[in-house]
Amino acid sequence: MRALLLFAMVQLKHFLRDPIYLFFILVFPLVFLFIFGTIFGGSRDVNLTTALLNNSDTEFAQDFVERLKAQESQSLKILSDDLSFEDARLKMARGEIDSIIELPPGFGSVGQTAAQQGEESPAAVTQTTPPSVFLPTGQLRVYYDEGSPQAGQIVATIMTGILDQINGALMGTTPPLSVEQVSVGVNGLSQFDYIFSGLLSYVLMTMGIYALSQQLPAEKRSGSLRRIKATPFRAWQLLTGLALAYLLLTLLSAALMIGVSMVVFDFQMRGSWLVLAAFSIVSALAMIGIGALVAGVARNSNQATVASQSIAFPMMFLSGVFFPRYLMPDFLQNISSWIPLTPVGDGIRYITTEGVGLPDLLPQLFLISAWGIVAYVLAFRLFKWE
Amino acid sequence: MPLIEVTNLRKSYGTKVAVDSISFSVDRAEVFGILGPNGAGKTTTMEMMEAMRTIDGGTVTIAGLDVARQPDRVRRIIGVQLQSAAFYEKVSLSESLRMFAAFYGRTVDPLKLLGDVGLAEQARLFPEKLSGGQKQRFSIATALVNRPQVLFLDEPTTGLDPQARHNMWKLIERIKAQEITIILTSHYMEEAQRLCDRLAIMDSGRIIALDSPSQMIADLIDRGFSKPALATLANLEDVYIDLTGKALRD
Repeated sequence: MRALLLFAMVQLKHFLRDPIYLFFILVFPLVFLFIFGTIFGGSRDVNLTTALLNNSDTEFAQDFVERLKAQESQSLKILSDDLSFEDARLKMARGEIDSIIELPPGFGSVGQTAAQQGEESPAAVTQTTPPSVFLPTGQLRVYYDEGSPQAGQIVATIMTGILDQINGALMGTTPPLSVEQVSVGVNGLSQFDYIFSGLLSYVLMTMGIYALSQQLPAEKRSGSLRRIKATPFRAWQLLTGLALAYLLLTLLSAALMIGVSMVVFDFQMRGSWLVLAAFSIVSALAMIGIGALVAGVARNSNQATVASQSIAFPMMFLSGVFFPRYLMPDFLQNISSWIPLTPVGDGIRYITTEGVGLPDLLPQLFLISAWGIVAYVLAFRLFKWE
Repeated sequence: MPLIEVTNLRKSYGTKVAVDSISFSVDRAEVFGILGPNGAGKTTTMEMMEAMRTIDGGTVTIAGLDVARQPDRVRRIIGVQLQSAAFYEKVSLSESLRMFAAFYGRTVDPLKLLGDVGLAEQARLFPEKLSGGQKQRFSIATALVNRPQVLFLDEPTTGLDPQARHNMWKLIERIKAQEITIILTSHYMEEAQRLCDRLAIMDSGRIIALDSPSQMIADLIDRGFSKPALATLANLEDVYIDLTGKALRD
């Protein structure tokens, strides 16, 4: 036992004194965190840029353009330079803008009186004249790229909303049936709070599978493992000591990531930190076991890299850590529910976003432990010293 | 009774026979040398005796323990300096020694042990900062943490400069004086002649001669051998050492 602990200590010193290892352990996950945090963090609004082409010379169209510009915000940028339709289409093809709003010639034209009074005094219009005769009419067009229909739909929805408002004001009535959009983030969780579970799972997996499967084969090559092989220290002790050292490194990396998430991205934790710690330890140990198996069996770094990549890469995407699993076809959902990272990601998400306790995580813990035990048993048996 | 007995030891890789049924024995406190060209089977023989490699046929017993059957008990009573060994970078010599001692369930005084091999001043250094000779001496220090009965040294002076080599010889003689049995491979005849009580010369996996260095020389002369040139009173190495001194240049 003392041998095992001293060995783990030596491993820790070996890493923590090496700037390259430190970079991978501490900085790399943070780089990842900042990339994902910036994409998904803070606001959950979409950013759309749309070009506005006004081909109508009516006053109503002028007013409408002003009104639209007033609506401009972080989420909807309006480009109202005098672009030709072709220019705008080119920009859209390049992805510089998401959609084009066109006010066709004659948009908003009707009887001069109605157009002049426009939106300023619609009530007066409706009182004195039959609406259908004097009200401005027209149909604006929203063009969007076939490849991103959402952008077109969102802009069309915004336009419909504005036009409905104007229509309502012109007619002096409120439509009897309408839709109100209310967002219901659970407990006011931000999108970052949701992706956080994925980032944490990613850290547990990289530290367990990638890091170990890089280090062990390198030691097989350098000869430091050979030297240990000549002593009474056995493979199971070596792997257990390594697992202990890596567990501490993983927790260190995870703690740093949680700290930065809280300070920079305002991460909101719903569950108990103790539950998260306990769950993370079990998960990290299982991941390290898989890494130890890969690294122990591989004869050299190339084999280990290929093997660990082909395990970790599909796992990262199939586990639902980055993409929700419900987007997958049924058969893939069935398969992916059994891979080891799936219960890790699910469990962390339940803890951090729903505040679930350990008893409710038993199915996940069971599956993770099963993978872990299988990995360690195989790793102990199949370990190659050189 | 000999401390080490090797009987009909065999090892083959595919169709190539690396060690072809060799037998020899080594007495306690003896320095036993294994010489031979590259590929003769020296290292393979050593590694089978060290329980580093599986034994295909025959037996090795050390202090009555069968290496194939009780490898863990054998590992406890031997010390091993490997040709291709490395130590953890960024881990000081003292820290490494404590770890190796713990593998045997022992505690050591790293400074004392490092002092014995002339590395007391380097105790806090990392192994990657050591010179070739220092590395070899550190490697021997790690092999002594368990106070072994048998010390295996695989080409301990290969690649060292003459000063470091002479220094290593003195270290080996001090270890021998502690009644530790030493098995040594080498490519240097001067080294073998100076250090070894008995020698086995191997070629193509077989032992082709087995005796004390002086007896081997006497036998050769008896067979009518004489050097074409008269033996000089000094050789180039003597000149080199005379000019550069014996002080270590780590």
